[in-house]
Amino acid sequence: MSENGVTLALHRVSKTFDEFKAVDELSLEVRAGRIFGLIGPNGAGKTTTIRMIVNILAPDTGRIELFGEQMSERLQDRIGYLPEERGLYKKMRVGEQLRYFGELKGLSPREAETRLDRWLERLKLSAWKNHKTDELSKGMQQKIQFITTVMHEPDLLILDEVFSGLDPVNAELMKDVLLELKAERRTIIFSTHMMSQAEELCDDICLINRSRKVLEGSLREVKSGFGRRAIALRSEGGEDTLADARLVAGLKPYGDYVEVVLAEGADAQELLRRLVESGARITRFEQVEPSLHDIFLQKVGESA
Amino acid sequence: MNKLLVIIRREYLGRLRTKGFVISSVLVPLIMIGFVVVPGLIISMKTGGATKVAVVDLTGKMYESVRASILTNRNDEGEDGARQNQPAPAGATPDREAQMRQMSRTLGTNYEVEQVATNGRSIDEIKHELNARVLKGELGVYLVLPEKILEEGRAEYYGRNVSDPIATSQLRQSLNRAVIEQRLREANIDQVRVRQLSKGIELETTKVSEGGLERDSGGAFGLAMFVGFFIYMAILMYGQVILSSVVEEKTTRVSEVLFSSVKPFHLMLGKLLGVSLVAITQYLIWAVAFGAFALYGVGMLAASGMDVPLPRLPLSFAVYALLFFVVGFLMYATIYLIVAAMVTTEKEAGQMALPVIFLSVISIYLAFPVIRNPNSSFAFWVSIAPFFSPITMLVRIITETPPFWQIALSLGVGLASTVLFIWLAARIYRVGMLMYGKSASLPEVVRWLRQT
Repeated sequence: MSENGVTLALHRVSKTFDEFKAVDELSLEVRAGRIFGLIGPNGAGKTTTIRMIVNILAPDTGRIELFGEQMSERLQDRIGYLPEERGLYKKMRVGEQLRYFGELKGLSPREAETRLDRWLERLKLSAWKNHKTDELSKGMQQKIQFITTVMHEPDLLILDEVFSGLDPVNAELMKDVLLELKAERRTIIFSTHMMSQAEELCDDICLINRSRKVLEGSLREVKSGFGRRAIALRSEGGEDTLADARLVAGLKPYGDYVEVVLAEGADAQELLRRLVESGARITRFEQVEPSLHDIFLQKVGESA
Repeated sequence: MNKLLVIIRREYLGRLRTKGFVISSVLVPLIMIGFVVVPGLIISMKTGGATKVAVVDLTGKMYESVRASILTNRNDEGEDGARQNQPAPAGATPDREAQMRQMSRTLGTNYEVEQVATNGRSIDEIKHELNARVLKGELGVYLVLPEKILEEGRAEYYGRNVSDPIATSQLRQSLNRAVIEQRLREANIDQVRVRQLSKGIELETTKVSEGGLERDSGGAFGLAMFVGFFIYMAILMYGQVILSSVVEEKTTRVSEVLFSSVKPFHLMLGKLLGVSLVAITQYLIWAVAFGAFALYGVGMLAASGMDVPLPRLPLSFAVYALLFFVVGFLMYATIYLIVAAMVTTEKEAGQMALPVIFLSVISIYLAFPVIRNPNSSFAFWVSIAPFFSPITMLVRIITETPPFWQIALSLGVGLASTVLFIWLAARIYRVGMLMYGKSASLPEVVRWLRQT
């Protein structure tokens, strides 16, 4: 993956179905060895974008480059795709099923066999190898599906709602696996509605809404570049200062503290100084970053 | 190419291992053989031992020859004699008549024959006594040969059961032979000569074709229809399999994962070929079973002295029949592929056998004008056209074999349209399924086809 660190690049990609523009002039770059969060509300165009990346759909206009090459059928084998709507053959045995999907990704039968054994062991499913798939619980099927996605050791993994249907224990197991894969310098595109998960795992994010990109960058940049700043404050007194509209844009009371949203251009240091001067007793004063959740709500709200 | 093989292997081996396949492979031949053998066994079942026949010979000179005639009926070595004694009835070909005789002989009953001495009693007294014996079950049947049997050709049959067609016709034939024999003897006519002179003719049909003169037994046309029927049966059985196989991947959402690994065209082609191989395997199993059974049957009949006419067919026709069967099957199967691509559940596909039935029925009707005029331009176009070619071209090959290039063209067009239809199905599948996730109407399909 020497392609100047970029695994995947979309250049002004558009896709229209009949009259409906599903993806509009979308450009983005996914860097190698990082976890990239593709987030957005339902119907924003995430799935269409992903389908174009995995070569199920062709863009109407624009260009998709994978590993520095024009997207092609051959490159499909270097991608692992876990669609949001899971699909396994119900009546096939788990082992046969995995071997089939492995072979469809170009593995030899023998190689597929050793890898599927390894993965079943890793995800604690070895005992189920000879069972029919529909005898498995939903969470287990979910893990089987995940194995089909990773067993051919793809350089790019595309995971759509990978944690749905998993209990906390399995979710934790899955998270470990993802971090391992990342440590192996594999690139992961992670699509989700769950902002807390994205916040926890993603290095970079791209927020799309109504077919367009709304926000892009590393999680750090996105957060610090985000206009809204807040302070968690616990104090006695100082109400007058907090009522000053030049400093404070709003107050949100939480259990034993108040979240103070700073006014445009106001400085947190200035607020602290004024509070101390006003004689308030301060037991907590902490600058808080906006959560991805808040950013999502505000951005999606803005563009709505 | 590799992935195509992976898909074909899964479709093929996966289905071969199902209980349904194993059961139908074994059961269908058994059932069919049962249909053929059991009725035959039942009909020819002989309940009880030999039938006792009493003969009241009022002529006083017929008994011995009648007895011989009744008994030789069962006797294989007497066949030639019996044949000599009976000139072919007008209208029946010698073959047919011989077959009928053989049939009644194989199915016939054993007889014990006794003579009833008149001892000066009146015929009514004798009948009275014999009736009593029949009622007691001592006697199966008695025959009365009147004095004027040779002139009037009438005899009387008495028995409890007069509705057993095999027994009555057998006895009638035996009497018939004995009477004719007697008449000829009395007229001093040489029987051998009569047989020679009254021998019928057989019409030998010979086809004039580019490959030289070929004998044709006439059954070949039926064979073309047979191939058509087989395509139709295979499609009805396996079209549904293809349909479920495609729809299953839609309902389980496997298709999206598959499409991220293989081209829809390969998926469709793989399914078609995989399922077709299953169909061919099944047919081969059946063919071997039937072939073995038929050989066994022919062997048995031949052993029992029946000569079985085997259809004489040029080998080339068998090869063509196989080729057109395969191409025809694939072509019709693509209809199921296309419908499967359009619907989201199997229920919606309910009416889909309709175009298959429609097209195959039409092609059977088209065969008739083609037989009458196998080299017309109508026949040419029909035998090139997809869906009609498998039957109509076979009919042409049998009637007046067209030049080889026409046969090759017909096969080529068949294969090309199969590929085209698979491509169409793949396209409808991908666009319809991924974009809308619902079943498609025809206008929508036409619109989708123009999109990528």
